[in-house]
Amino acid sequence: MEKQHHIQLVPGDIGETVFLPGDVSRAKVIADHFDSAELVVSNRQYNTFTGLYKGVKVSVTSTGIGGAAAAIAIEELVKVGAKNLIRIGTGGMMQTWLPNPAILVITGAVRGDGTTREYFPPEYPAVADFYMVENLLKSADELGIEVHTGYEWSHDAFYAGSTLSKLDILAIEKPWIDAGVLIASQEASTVFALASARNVRGGVILASAGCHQHPEKSASPEEMVTAISNATKISLETALKLHALDHKENK
Amino acid sequence: MAQETEHRQHHINLLPGETAPTVLVPGDPGRVELFAKEMDEAWKVAQKREYVTYTGKKDGVLISCTSSGLGPSPTAIGVEELIRVGSKNIIRMGTCGALQPFMRAGDIIIATGAVRGSRCTEEFISIDYPAIADYRIVRASIDACERLGLKYHLGLVRTHDAFYLESPWAHGDYAARLKPWVDLGVLAVENESATMLVVASMQGVRAGTILLSSNPIFGEGEDDPDLEAHKRDLVRVGIETAKVLHEMGLDED
Repeated sequence: MEKQHHIQLVPGDIGETVFLPGDVSRAKVIADHFDSAELVVSNRQYNTFTGLYKGVKVSVTSTGIGGAAAAIAIEELVKVGAKNLIRIGTGGMMQTWLPNPAILVITGAVRGDGTTREYFPPEYPAVADFYMVENLLKSADELGIEVHTGYEWSHDAFYAGSTLSKLDILAIEKPWIDAGVLIASQEASTVFALASARNVRGGVILASAGCHQHPEKSASPEEMVTAISNATKISLETALKLHALDHKENK
Repeated sequence: MAQETEHRQHHINLLPGETAPTVLVPGDPGRVELFAKEMDEAWKVAQKREYVTYTGKKDGVLISCTSSGLGPSPTAIGVEELIRVGSKNIIRMGTCGALQPFMRAGDIIIATGAVRGSRCTEEFISIDYPAIADYRIVRASIDACERLGLKYHLGLVRTHDAFYLESPWAHGDYAARLKPWVDLGVLAVENESATMLVVASMQGVRAGTILLSSNPIFGEGEDDPDLEAHKRDLVRVGIETAKVLHEMGLDED
């Protein structure tokens, strides 16, 4: 098979579980949590590292920001053998009853983005894979890391829905806040809907950074380092559990 | 959260305390009687319009069953009013048309989410909002099927309004209408789940869906000779799911 157009990978280059940070530099931060890791390819914003974690081959590919770039990565990763896609990212907290930063296991997404609108009819739901949710929660519990579950509002225009926006974001977000949606970010709807449609598992774990009602409570850079590290540890243990689940089913 | 009131709810005719924390919701009012027969003891609590409610006990666990009637409008009313009398776990227990060729009559489907092809909940919230089953109810439903030794499929279902556009008895080319959903891997088509999931999840209440494939649309055998036995299986899965939720500590008031 020829190298995939954007991610520049061929089958064999990646493990069955691939972590998907948005931030290009975070690919290495996540790979540093593996027992061993090597940079496979760096092309555009797509940096891929592959290595071993407790004997299981795992990978990380940065997607860049937004659904459009994430969809390209997902389509191409599935073609070269990815079975479990776990986005590890950040977002803006929309609920005041949660701590900030909090670590969130996302169970579903509001499809406020344009990419999934082009792919799927609007009534198609963006749902996290059930086994992904269950194993992320089990892993967090075993590691003693507090996590919360709920929905992400996925949208395209960062400067129309973040603490750095000049707009009245609480008015824009009111329907979602009132419905209990936890966090604003950009990629979960694409990860969930596209993974379901391609018959692979999609999961999302986020660390909240900005705090929409109280921007002064936004997380510090040091707090974010810890939160991302914890989200990565949870994701790595989840990769092991999914590996055990898949290779038991295949026997 | 639940807004408990002391008057009888306008349509379901229930007061807080008359139902268990876990309520099973068939579309068919007649199936509530089937629920009552499968329980160790059960008593009728209310009957008004298409809403029939029984509460009962199975192996010491208190469980209720309220029919929703057919389609999104009565389902949205029923779920809203159940939340107002304090329901914590609301589980649809209905029939559907299976869409995938590998599915058979009598198969159980556990929904992880639903396509929002029904218009009703767009009055509450934009179509962008997802209809998702609570993962704890999904887990309890899986455990229930495994305990009872029943085969199940896990995945998305399609909820829509016009039965006579998407069923084996539909007008015109129903296969062409359903093809996009079949291609997306959607397991079944029915009329109530998305409404229930959206109304409940918007208020932070757990909801889920367990369906019986009564009419496989593209599989073999459009008529199920064992339909009555399979409906009993469905009710048994519902009751077992409520028991698992009790064991998980998720049915406390």
